[in-house]
Amino acid sequence: MVLTQTGRWGLLLGLAVLPGFALANPEVIKLTQNARNWAMQAGNMQNHRYSALKQITSENVKDLRVAWTFSTGVLRGHEGGPLVIGDMLYIHSPFPNKVFAINLADQTIRWKYEPKQDPSVIPVMCCDTVNRGVAYADGKIFLQQADTNLVALDAKTGKEVWKVKNGDPKKGETNTNAPHIFKDKVITGISGGEFGVRGYLAAYDIKTGKLAWKAYSTGPDAEMLMDPEKTMTWTDGKMAPVGRDSSLKSWQGDQWKIGGGTTWGWFSYDPKLNLVYYGSGNPSTWNPVQRPGDNKWSMTIFARDADTGQAKWVYQMTPHDEWDFDGVNEMILADGINVRGKPRNVVVHFDRNGFAYTLDRATGELLVAQKYDPTVNWATHVDMKTGRPQVVKQYSTRAQGADVNTKGICPAALGTKDQQPAAYNPANKLFYVPTNHVCMDYEPFKVEYTAGQPYVGATLSMYPPPKSHGGMGNFIVWDAGAGKIVKSKPEKFSVWSGALVTAGGIACYGTLEGYVKCVDANDISKELYKFKTPSGIIGNLNTWEFKGKQYIGVLSGIGGWAGIGLAAGLEKDTDGLGAVGGYRELSKYTELGGVLTVFSLP
Amino acid sequence: MKRMACIPVVALALAAWASDPALAADDKPYRVADGNKVDKATLEGWRTWRALACERCHGARQEGLVGPSLLESMRRLSKDEFKQAMMKGRPEKGMPNFDGSKMVTENLDGLYAFLKGRADGAIQPGRLEELK
Repeated sequence: MVLTQTGRWGLLLGLAVLPGFALANPEVIKLTQNARNWAMQAGNMQNHRYSALKQITSENVKDLRVAWTFSTGVLRGHEGGPLVIGDMLYIHSPFPNKVFAINLADQTIRWKYEPKQDPSVIPVMCCDTVNRGVAYADGKIFLQQADTNLVALDAKTGKEVWKVKNGDPKKGETNTNAPHIFKDKVITGISGGEFGVRGYLAAYDIKTGKLAWKAYSTGPDAEMLMDPEKTMTWTDGKMAPVGRDSSLKSWQGDQWKIGGGTTWGWFSYDPKLNLVYYGSGNPSTWNPVQRPGDNKWSMTIFARDADTGQAKWVYQMTPHDEWDFDGVNEMILADGINVRGKPRNVVVHFDRNGFAYTLDRATGELLVAQKYDPTVNWATHVDMKTGRPQVVKQYSTRAQGADVNTKGICPAALGTKDQQPAAYNPANKLFYVPTNHVCMDYEPFKVEYTAGQPYVGATLSMYPPPKSHGGMGNFIVWDAGAGKIVKSKPEKFSVWSGALVTAGGIACYGTLEGYVKCVDANDISKELYKFKTPSGIIGNLNTWEFKGKQYIGVLSGIGGWAGIGLAAGLEKDTDGLGAVGGYRELSKYTELGGVLTVFSLP
Repeated sequence: MKRMACIPVVALALAAWASDPALAADDKPYRVADGNKVDKATLEGWRTWRALACERCHGARQEGLVGPSLLESMRRLSKDEFKQAMMKGRPEKGMPNFDGSKMVTENLDGLYAFLKGRADGAIQPGRLEELK
């Protein structure tokens, strides 16, 4: 009841007044509407990674130069990016999760925050200690620490305003995600899918840190904040209620209690609908034989009411995962996307499983599900009536069984795309997507659960797709209405950096070798600018304006999964050399070390 | 309690080795043929390596990634030092303590044997099977 009414009110108010004004956090929305700021990690609540700034253009981007740099003093993988609000820039580091407030006028450090965290959290984050950045609202900077403490800092002084514990690292619960500010709440998730953590999304009051709601991905309806009659899902070509115990019925025994569905991605928010969008990760373990059933609601897109957490609709992309295709990647909200001749307001999601999904974001109706890398082979297609991927037996690690090495699966577990967020250009309604181009062999095996210990249960070997361009990544342009690749630019390594697209007609991204590249947004094959930063880039490119000048900033600092170059389960000494060799070659280009590099025109 | 429980297993394993003439001869904690066929305890050691996802830090070939190369450190570490590192961890460097893992405590000697065999170059990387 409550859910429906809130939805209706949201819609009515949204139509009646300026978009989002009545219900959403007016301060943050106002800040994001001024392109001089970069006030949220994705630039806005819709996850666009788009800037209206146009001082830097496709004509003059070739003249870009480094304006200033800043070392975080930390090694390991640097994900996320800087926030800019007015004359201040806020930048974070991986564990120990330092935060620096930098005065843009003279690049001095106004304050620095370094939390004291138990180092025993590091191994539980095995193997990299990334953090995807801070958030701003209400005069506070919000930091989601690795040890799960969520901290609100005074944006002027760096002093702690409040602190709340979001999880328990002793159980393998850690955090890597950026906190997201929607309305009067700070929304956060949890990591630990490889430790049998039961995933959830939690909302805290931005003023006090008081828990407003917590919604699990698996388990009883009440704990998932799911209404059997009102929470809808795509069923037989239409939306229908999920029904009672929809999660419990899809697991054997109590496996759901250690069943994953963690929530470490990029969330978005529609102020008119008052809905928060996010995805849940892999079911635990990686050995599908140990967890028969669809394993709901792992691998699922959720739309939840921001006030109550109640699930409005859900859509499971990969029922009964057999490949570690986490569903956590960013949810991008786009308006007026032409789907079969009709403009639709949609959520677009580029999943690890290699399919890009377009859904009606009010109703959850499945509109488009197409491969965004032609080498994807584990499923032939998504059946648009059932919404289920049609799995190819040869690549089904469940069908092949435990202790069998299933070979040649595309994409690899790190997905056609991992967390590295895409950008959306509202002007041409196209998506600029950093992707991986990697296949794998996958051998599941039986594992026992011990709290706080790895609970993986598969060994993997990764390599570039055979009969392709030899590289391990592509930067692509995607039409989410048609479900088609518009253009694809090959890259030597996975493009593990969040993209940026601007009104100046450029799209920019970083590479694992350490290059910042800007291409023509109208023809991404035209590389207009390239600069080698001090380390490989897994951070996201953000842009802002200060004293009349446009800047582009990015963290370099190799690490993360791609930087680690996971490869295992070799049958012979020579097997898997593609993967090991492919990523290993990175050492020719780059070393560890976190640096923020800021560019501008002369 | 859990750590105590492993001691009889260790003692049994040591007793088994002592009575094995092949082991006594060359003083190796493992037996291997063709590079990929190993004795039961070493096989269980490899399975433990796999189940605890050690390759995520130490590499599929134990060559080191975020964590150090075990091909190097296994030449340096005494068996006691190895066990100490496994049980207590090195949290400041990112090495977890595995004293809570039944699989590790039960197969610590086999794991040592497997990694020693890798460092010696006697055992190949990748899948192993039991030496009959």
